[in-house]
Amino acid sequence: MGVVVKKVELSWLDRTYVWPVMKGMGITLRHFFRQLFTPTAKRYTIQYPDMKKEMPEGYRGLHELKRFEDGAIKCVACFMCQEACPARCISIEAEEFSDLNITQGFEEKRPAKFSIDMLRCIYCGMCEEACPKDAIWLRKDYEVAAYDRLAMQYGKWDLMNTYAKADGKENISEDPTPSVPRRTIAL
Amino acid sequence: MDKLASLLHTSPAIAWMVAKLVIVFGGVFSLAALWTWVERRGAAMIQDRIGPNRAALFGKIKIIGLAQPLADGIKFFFKEDLVPNDANKGLFWLAPFLALVPALMGFAVIPFGRSFVSGGHEYHMALLDPGNGMGLLYPLAIGGMAVYGVLVAAWSSNNKWAILGGMRSSATMVSYEIGMSLAVVTIFMTAGGYDPSEVIKAQGHLPWAWNIVRQPLGFIVFFTCMFAETNRLPFDFAEGESEIVAGFNTEYGSMKFSLLALSEYCHLMTASALIATLYFGGWQVPFMQNPPVMLSVASFLVKMLFFAWVFVWIRWTLPRFRYDQLMHLGWKAMLPMSMVNLVFHAWRMSQGH
Ligand code: SF4
Ligand code: SF4
Repeated sequence: MGVVVKKVELSWLDRTYVWPVMKGMGITLRHFFRQLFTPTAKRYTIQYPDMKKEMPEGYRGLHELKRFEDGAIKCVACFMCQEACPARCISIEAEEFSDLNITQGFEEKRPAKFSIDMLRCIYCGMCEEACPKDAIWLRKDYEVAAYDRLAMQYGKWDLMNTYAKADGKENISEDPTPSVPRRTIAL
Repeated sequence: MDKLASLLHTSPAIAWMVAKLVIVFGGVFSLAALWTWVERRGAAMIQDRIGPNRAALFGKIKIIGLAQPLADGIKFFFKEDLVPNDANKGLFWLAPFLALVPALMGFAVIPFGRSFVSGGHEYHMALLDPGNGMGLLYPLAIGGMAVYGVLVAAWSSNNKWAILGGMRSSATMVSYEIGMSLAVVTIFMTAGGYDPSEVIKAQGHLPWAWNIVRQPLGFIVFFTCMFAETNRLPFDFAEGESEIVAGFNTEYGSMKFSLLALSEYCHLMTASALIATLYFGGWQVPFMQNPPVMLSVASFLVKMLFFAWVFVWIRWTLPRFRYDQLMHLGWKAMLPMSMVNLVFHAWRMSQGH
């Protein structure tokens, strides 16, 4: 069974071709002038290096390792994110630290090393989902680029400082509580 | 002018000739280069984009991207100049010039301002003085030469897409030439001569006495044919990237490509100058009997650039025709229309006398 294609009946004015062309030119001219007199900020085009796109809520950009007020890392090195990561790009090394472990045998954990290979990361957000401490967030920075591969290996301090400037915080490179050599005192 | 000529130990006529040469060809050439920018910027604006606005002089002076043609030129110069192995090398080299030179030459007879008398000499604002016996037949003949540029470029590059594009565009040019010539003949008839200065004089300074009002049909035919002649959309059958890769210039690169592209814009400038001369009173300033020379030049420039802009404007409005539609339009619409135009005006003239 064939399909009956309905032909559009053109009026004599449309058949002349001149009139529809003029109508079309009117439309394009309207666009031209609208674009000409729109200030740059209101145009559709975002002129990238000068202007940046505001990413929507829920955008998954570069990671941040969250910190407490005093600069201590929120992450407790539970390895949940490492397990959840489908790209297997997180690697963590845990360490113990606490003043309390001397007196009460009470220990706390934190990552000694925490690195994400941004070249392998697929920004799926699984690490954020898995984290029980809300310690790792994927935020809105999308300018993840570097000149060599090594620079794309983000370490613990890189990850803690990724949004420091944007949030107006200090860059940190030291834990407020010094780490305790393992099992030296607590025994 | 006399002073300058005596400084250079030449006669004023020769000094004026050289000045005109520089002004006209330099002007047309730089306008054509500028128009590549206007085209891209205009296209962008029409499509709600911004277009090339970042090219800057010395990395700083960014005048709405006006340095773009310059940057393009530099880039083209430094690109590798490839010639296909099996191409006809000589013709491959010759073709860009064959395209460019006629496009520029057509401008020679077009008066771009009022003639003036100074120091007992009469200076004409056209490369070839009026009364040279060629008149407006010359740009038409030269326009016919433009086919060679495209066809030679296509044939010599030994590429089937190129030759298809070249064949299509030469067929277009040839079939539209007839309609165009008949439209122009009507103007010659009513003006009583084919010298551009006579055509302009016949139109006078009143806008409603210009040929656009007297021969609207002829204008439509001529205008449409100019699109076919200059190989621009909606009739750009030499190209057609969806069908035949890039058309006649598929094999061209670096400066040769840029010459081919420039020749299209030079052609566009000549075509707009022709339209302004034939149908919009050339350098005549509306409602002014004897305008100052500079004003007449400005008037001509405004008209010419307006039509050059219309070429850009139409390009970004209309889609490309199908080939049979084009032939249909050329032979069954444009040719009869210009015939009707010719016969009608002939009849009116016979009634008038
Ligand atoms: S976003 Fe996905 S791929 Fe990237 S580190 Fe987190 S879990 Fe792994
Ligand atoms: S899931 Fe959260 S708390 Fe656990 S290791 Fe990862 S970032 Fe640290």
